[in-house]
Amino acid sequence: MGEGMGESTPVRLRVNGVTTALVCPPERILLDLLREDLNLTGTKRGCDLGTCGCCTVWVDGKPVLSCLTLARLVSGRDITTIEGVTPASGLSDLQRAFVDHGATQCGFCTPGFVMTATALLRDHPHPTKPEIERAIAGNLCRCTGYIKIVEAVAATAEGRP
Amino acid sequence: MAAPDAPAPTYRLIGTRIPYIEGPLKVTGRAEYTDDIKRSGQLIARLLRSPWPHARLRSINVEKARAMPGVAAVLTGEKYPTPFGVLPITHDETAIAVGKVRYIGDILAAVAASDEATADRALEAIEVDIEPLPDYPEPQGGTIAVAEPIHARGLNGTNIQKEVVQHFGDVDAAFAKAHATVRVRGTFAGVTHAFTEPMATIAEATPDGRLTVWSATQVPHYLHRALSEVLGIPMHRIRVIKPEVGGGFGGKSDPLPHEIICAALSLETGRPVKILFDREDVFVTNHGRHPTKNDVRIAVDADGRILAYDIEALIDGGAWSSFGTVTTYYNGVLSMGPYRVPNFRYHGRRVYTTKPPSGAMRAHGGTNIRYSVELALDDLAERLGIDPFDLRERNALPPHSTTVNQFRITSTSFVKCLHAARERSGWDQKYRKLPYGKGVGLGCGFYISGSNSPIHFTPKMPQCTVHLKADMDGGIAVHCMQADIGQGSNTLLAAIVAEVVGVDLDRVHIMRVDSDVSPVDIGSYSSRVTFMMGNAARQAAESLRDQLIRAASRLTGYPPAQLEVAHEKIRVRHRPDIAVDYLAALHAAMERTGALLATGAYNSPPMGGDFKGARAGTAPAYSFAAYVAQVDVDVETGVYRVEKVWAAFDCGRVLNRLAVEGQIEGSIHMGLGQMMGEAMSYRGARLMNPSLLDYKIPMPQQMPEVECLLVGDDDPEGPFGGKEAGEGPLIATLPAVGNALHDAVGVRYHDLPVTPDKVLRGIEVREQSGRAWKGVG
Amino acid sequence: MHLDPFELHRPSSVEETVSLAGRLAPAFDYIAGGTDLLPNYKMRLNVRPNLIALEDVSELRGISLDRVGAMVRLGELETDPAFGSAYRGVVEAAAEVATPLVRASGTVGGNLLVETRCFFFNQSFPWRKSLGFCLKADGDKCHVVPQKEKCYATFSGDLAPTLAVLDAEVEVAGPDGRRRVPVASLYDASGDGIQRHHLRPSELIVAVHFPPEARTLRGSYRKLRIRPSFDFPELGVAVAARQSADGGVERLALSVGGLETYPRRFDDLTRRLVGERPTIAKVRELADAVRQLVRPVHNTALAPDYRRKMAGVYVRRSVAEILGVAEETR
Repeated sequence: MGEGMGESTPVRLRVNGVTTALVCPPERILLDLLREDLNLTGTKRGCDLGTCGCCTVWVDGKPVLSCLTLARLVSGRDITTIEGVTPASGLSDLQRAFVDHGATQCGFCTPGFVMTATALLRDHPHPTKPEIERAIAGNLCRCTGYIKIVEAVAATAEGRP
Repeated sequence: MAAPDAPAPTYRLIGTRIPYIEGPLKVTGRAEYTDDIKRSGQLIARLLRSPWPHARLRSINVEKARAMPGVAAVLTGEKYPTPFGVLPITHDETAIAVGKVRYIGDILAAVAASDEATADRALEAIEVDIEPLPDYPEPQGGTIAVAEPIHARGLNGTNIQKEVVQHFGDVDAAFAKAHATVRVRGTFAGVTHAFTEPMATIAEATPDGRLTVWSATQVPHYLHRALSEVLGIPMHRIRVIKPEVGGGFGGKSDPLPHEIICAALSLETGRPVKILFDREDVFVTNHGRHPTKNDVRIAVDADGRILAYDIEALIDGGAWSSFGTVTTYYNGVLSMGPYRVPNFRYHGRRVYTTKPPSGAMRAHGGTNIRYSVELALDDLAERLGIDPFDLRERNALPPHSTTVNQFRITSTSFVKCLHAARERSGWDQKYRKLPYGKGVGLGCGFYISGSNSPIHFTPKMPQCTVHLKADMDGGIAVHCMQADIGQGSNTLLAAIVAEVVGVDLDRVHIMRVDSDVSPVDIGSYSSRVTFMMGNAARQAAESLRDQLIRAASRLTGYPPAQLEVAHEKIRVRHRPDIAVDYLAALHAAMERTGALLATGAYNSPPMGGDFKGARAGTAPAYSFAAYVAQVDVDVETGVYRVEKVWAAFDCGRVLNRLAVEGQIEGSIHMGLGQMMGEAMSYRGARLMNPSLLDYKIPMPQQMPEVECLLVGDDDPEGPFGGKEAGEGPLIATLPAVGNALHDAVGVRYHDLPVTPDKVLRGIEVREQSGRAWKGVG
Repeated sequence: MHLDPFELHRPSSVEETVSLAGRLAPAFDYIAGGTDLLPNYKMRLNVRPNLIALEDVSELRGISLDRVGAMVRLGELETDPAFGSAYRGVVEAAAEVATPLVRASGTVGGNLLVETRCFFFNQSFPWRKSLGFCLKADGDKCHVVPQKEKCYATFSGDLAPTLAVLDAEVEVAGPDGRRRVPVASLYDASGDGIQRHHLRPSELIVAVHFPPEARTLRGSYRKLRIRPSFDFPELGVAVAARQSADGGVERLALSVGGLETYPRRFDDLTRRLVGERPTIAKVRELADAVRQLVRPVHNTALAPDYRRKMAGVYVRRSVAEILGVAEETR
């Protein structure tokens, strides 16, 4: 039952619909596993302490901080990264809107925002501006002042370019 | 310059809303940042940082660390003692501390190991023996001779790093005849860039004697130079590559010690080495805006015309010089425009302290002094019974004029900014007319559109060069060392080339910055890229276009002078039905030479006076701003909200409307941060809040509505008439809010950040003094 | 940043959990959402060699008006419509914890037992080492109030004050069985930021239980902080009240968090309003008394004298609002 101190044991993770068998120790953090073991580098490391949201991924469809998630505790759950919400060709409507509305500048926070906002629109297709602001208030952006991010999310919700 | 009534030209791309060309890569996580790169067999490096603010190093014993399994190398300061620094005149840093440490966080040693945990364990096994020295956390104590100056180069045994004394005209005479004078003393906490991507570097020394360095830098060229100087390797054997950079704002513009250390560790081990900073590393590396105290006296005549400025600034530099000499000048010379100031005196001192170093941050040197000046002008306007807009308009620098310190002013649409902000904000219905707790305020500013002084090499060399290559596939590869750090310079570069050559944007490929192939541009600082790269790009593109036109001339039989570029073709100006497709013209042009090459370069024209420091602040153009902010204060708690900002900005012609709006909105966000809550919080020399939890970057709910009023006329020398919009838009934010707080509660706040507790304290002090919230005082 | 190695245990029942805990105590921590624990572990704050994950213990789940499981995520609680309409104050507090991303993982039990905070404690290992550490981790002195006896770290949970004013109880399981503890007396009122609460090392919070009376109360939560998200409370004021048809106060409770080492109820003060028709003067008197009693220290972002002053303002506003007493306009 206990997984021994630092002992690497097999774990099966379903990431972006693909189940992968890996070996990792109990202290392995999901973010490290995604970036280093699976080479899914779209998920960014901004602070490693849950204070920026750059590392946002979904666990069972819910946006969470992968830097504060133990990989072993999400085995058997559905993990989705930015690579998993991107269509095989082209961009999702929200991604398109982020580009067209100038919601990405340096781009480092952007995958996290896309993960948060995609989930928001899936669960609440018609959010108000305060609801959008509240929903993204766990993701830090230092470039845009959030204005164009909120615009991009609202435009996607309203189905306008 | 175009005749006043000639219609301004319009363009196919320039001036529209151009989405970032790399946007699709960024929104999908496919854009590659430094930490996304993994080199085969790479080691991880970590740094041992000083726990002491100031200490002499007696010995460092690294033997235990070196012997630990998994440790590949341990490096201490003596191996690479060559000093470096961003300014050639103040090389006072070493890659790793030599002899002394100068702040909590200074680097004592570096370890390269198989993984981070091993490296961290090795750091703890390093034994350091020191002799503590007196620490100097505040600048005031460092202005007199001290027992143990932080640097030997401090002036006369003090900790003063740079002292600037300037006097133009006769300030004392102007004050003697003044109708009114005002004195404002401001205190500004340090703030930091807090970009989302932590610093990261990978270095790989290879058996062919070369060294490749990938780094999150804004200025690849200065990094290239510093690596060469400190490591003793000629520049041509070093290759610097800049991947995507996740924000810089000035914080990635100095060559930084970890970049050199990373390269040194790779040379030491023969293996690729990566350094990735954690947030505390980022915070203590700092180089943010200087903690500053300033003392501003302004004299005016009865009409509110400025007679003189008399300014002092005491600037807390932290442990190193960084850009500090420039900072010391800027705190003076950037206090004047957008106004005509006939007499000017300035005494600025930047003092070393045992704090993390300060340096250049967005709107470097122009932000803190501007806040004090704008609050002082508002105070004068109120006492003279002149509307703050009228007072500023009366003092506006005219276009094509020269300032008292010999700045060359060319285009300015400052008066148009004032008119737009006044009208759109409904100022005349609001100012002094809103109920207690609500207020509007005006703040203005100006900023350099690139520095006329390139830092590192003879002004005879261009500050920017752009190379183009067009081959048979019809694509145009663009090489330039300018650094896109999120501000959209790649997109502008592509748009300028596409505009001039007449092709679709997707034909233009901006090649990643790579010192082996990118011609030198001196990087993203001093808000220079639009102006300088834009001009170089335009020149290169015109050269390419002319080659295509000559080929089209051969194909059509019309002389080149009668041909013009249209969308994806070249046509006869008076017979537009006669045209050659772009590809046909290109292929014809290639018949004898193969792929077409073109080059363009920019250097700013000679300018400035001939006194000491005359070049500081000279620029080929300046941006101008007039912002109105509207605030709502809870007068019982001091909590306030900025409801709206009307941002009238003169960046000349708007080249990419989407990017300019983004720069203004982002600048307002950053300015509000410094105004409302961000602070590098120190107890003594110790930084108390090195985290994104405790360093208070504003949230989306705190953002005001922003209305961008882009009213600039074409600049005569700017590319397509454009000027900077990356830094200047920050400056006016702070005084607009500061003056709005005064309109709301009758208090001028001079101690930033203005947190709710300070707002409340100010109201209490005013109430205790029996002064009403409205009225002169 | 990396975590030091630990052993990870995944029990599937409460009994299994507490018996494991009894065996390992005190060399373990429970991990629920991990949003408080893992940052602290990354900074090597009181790291232990065993983590007992509560993820698989199904008894810790479930939301009803009588009971909320300890592993219920704050985000779930915040969006449960029935719970929200019954216990407005609790939901207001849940919705103000940290950020949506933290609330997606963070749990009710985790917020009740969130580690107390201090500028000298919530720092990296090298940062703390450079000061010789502090009482609360690895050291023997306090840097906030220099002495060696007492830790002044601030209680920073948002939920506890709102549950305390409803007289909610926590169900606690331990190796010797289960017991109920009122939230209001869960915390150590001697004012020690290390001890924090009265749970034994191996005990576990299973759920929060609401007495039937709780549903008859109106509650609210007011939080002071610099930013509307991320920030821990610099002050958190929870009130709950019931009034008779004519406006007389039948019940009133007040709990203040974010100021001292524990969330503090002020029963002696609120009792004075019970049976009365509330007036703004009486509310003001209550608020002033609270302000005089609280003793924040300088270990958070805002100055202690300001937080104390705000305690008065926030208490007055919250109590006046909940009792429907009109405030004078200034």
